[in-house]
Amino acid sequence: MIKLENVSKVYNDEVVALRDASFDIPKGEFVFLVGASGSGKSTLLRLMNRQERPERGAVWVAGRNINEMPDSKVPFLRRNIGNIFQDYKLLPNKTVFENVAFALEVIGRPKHVIRQQVPAVLELVGLSGKQDRFPHQLSGGEQQRVSIARAFVNRPLILLADEPTGNLDPTTGEGIMRLLDRINKTGTTVVMATHDQRIVNMMRRRVVQLDRGVIVRDQARGVYD
Amino acid sequence: MFSRITYAFRETWASFQRNLTLTAAAILTAAVALLLVGVTFLIQSGFANLLAKWQGGVEMIIYVRPEVSNDPARVEALRQQVSGNAAVKDVTVLNQEQSFEIAKKVLVGQPALLKALSVEKMPAQIRVVPVKGSEDLLPILKQQFKDAPNVFQIGLATDTIKLYSKLSQFVRQFTIGASAILMIVAVVLIWNTIRTAMFARRREIEVMKLVGATNWFIRVPFMLEGLLQGLIGSLLSCGGLVLVNSLWGNALGGFGTTDNVTNDLLSLQVTPGYLRGVMLIILAVGALVGALAAGIAATRFLDV
Repeated sequence: MIKLENVSKVYNDEVVALRDASFDIPKGEFVFLVGASGSGKSTLLRLMNRQERPERGAVWVAGRNINEMPDSKVPFLRRNIGNIFQDYKLLPNKTVFENVAFALEVIGRPKHVIRQQVPAVLELVGLSGKQDRFPHQLSGGEQQRVSIARAFVNRPLILLADEPTGNLDPTTGEGIMRLLDRINKTGTTVVMATHDQRIVNMMRRRVVQLDRGVIVRDQARGVYD
Repeated sequence: MFSRITYAFRETWASFQRNLTLTAAAILTAAVALLLVGVTFLIQSGFANLLAKWQGGVEMIIYVRPEVSNDPARVEALRQQVSGNAAVKDVTVLNQEQSFEIAKKVLVGQPALLKALSVEKMPAQIRVVPVKGSEDLLPILKQQFKDAPNVFQIGLATDTIKLYSKLSQFVRQFTIGASAILMIVAVVLIWNTIRTAMFARRREIEVMKLVGATNWFIRVPFMLEGLLQGLIGSLLSCGGLVLVNSLWGNALGGFGTTDNVTNDLLSLQVTPGYLRGVMLIILAVGALVGALAAGIAATRFLDV
């Protein structure tokens, strides 16, 4: 599903974010990217949805080299990739329903499809009764669930999560992980950057460890250290 | 497709409400600029009417008696007599139809008089362009021909007409310059309004891009907003133009037709058809300039 071939990324001609990174993520896998701050985890995620382009190497997503993809095709690539962030990136002036519907609306889905899919995904993330609330009326965990609902409502092939439990307490974080696990079991490939040692150790999934832009470990059913 | 159109209009309206002060400033500037563009058109047309008789360096016009004006042989004989003079550089003949067309322009402010005229009643014209430096000899030429057979009347371009011509050039340059500057200000204001609107919605735009909205989908509501700003500005300017034209017409009407100067001033008007044409141009220019300014801003600031 995702393949990196000798990828290097340098910011401002001096800061090396990634050096010669290569790995392959098959369809339906759950992968943790771990490492200290600045080790290149977020850069890897940004390369996978073409927010960044590498200086060298190739990034393949669903069989296509996305570095060579024309800019006009990038939106269509992103419709197959859901994104989850540490700060949720919800729109404060929209309700829960509108925040999730927004993801379908901007890619031109008709109203009747939105009316069907949004309640279904809100039920999946456990927010059925809260669709008319605004983000500031929700707890951190609930806001992250809205963010996951927005990322998953279009049933993407891949889910990229950048520190999704970073702002949450351990119990809430575990709830979010259970949700991501359920989504992964539907066949969606999940790539998650995290610092959360406890969660990585609890899940026991594939772990790719980065250190100053270099992949130093790639372990199936791994732990944090 | 329908949901996309609905989305674009809904977002445009929401953005309009969010940036009301800046939007109003942009609209008013566009309106003033376009009003000046419209006034420039009207002034140019007014002066063109006023100077219609004297275009092409013509400084003397010999009007042929209307009853012989439809006899080409007699008109041609008179033309040959005039062109033989050493002070004359060029002579052209206008037949009755052509004279009537010019009268329509000159008498634009005197519809009653124009209504009383017809092609048959119009004199043919022999229009004289003097050799450069020989303009002073034209009054002598007039004396020579004023009692000649078949001559009805002779008109000379007066100093007042020459003054009108200079004034028209000055006013044209001033109004074109001022409207160009104001149009640039309006474009910059619309551009800035859109930039501010995009900055205010940068988080939304970021999410839109991440969930796969195309650049055009993001851009269109902003372009629509700019188009609407330009269009509303041009509608206001059209209203202003109708008002200015009406006040100007009333003011000129108040002068009456007491002498040559007030008769000349009455020509400084435009026909209702011309006014409608100018208004259509202003509407198109307003919408186009607004959409273009917004489109450029939306493209430039899409990477928020």
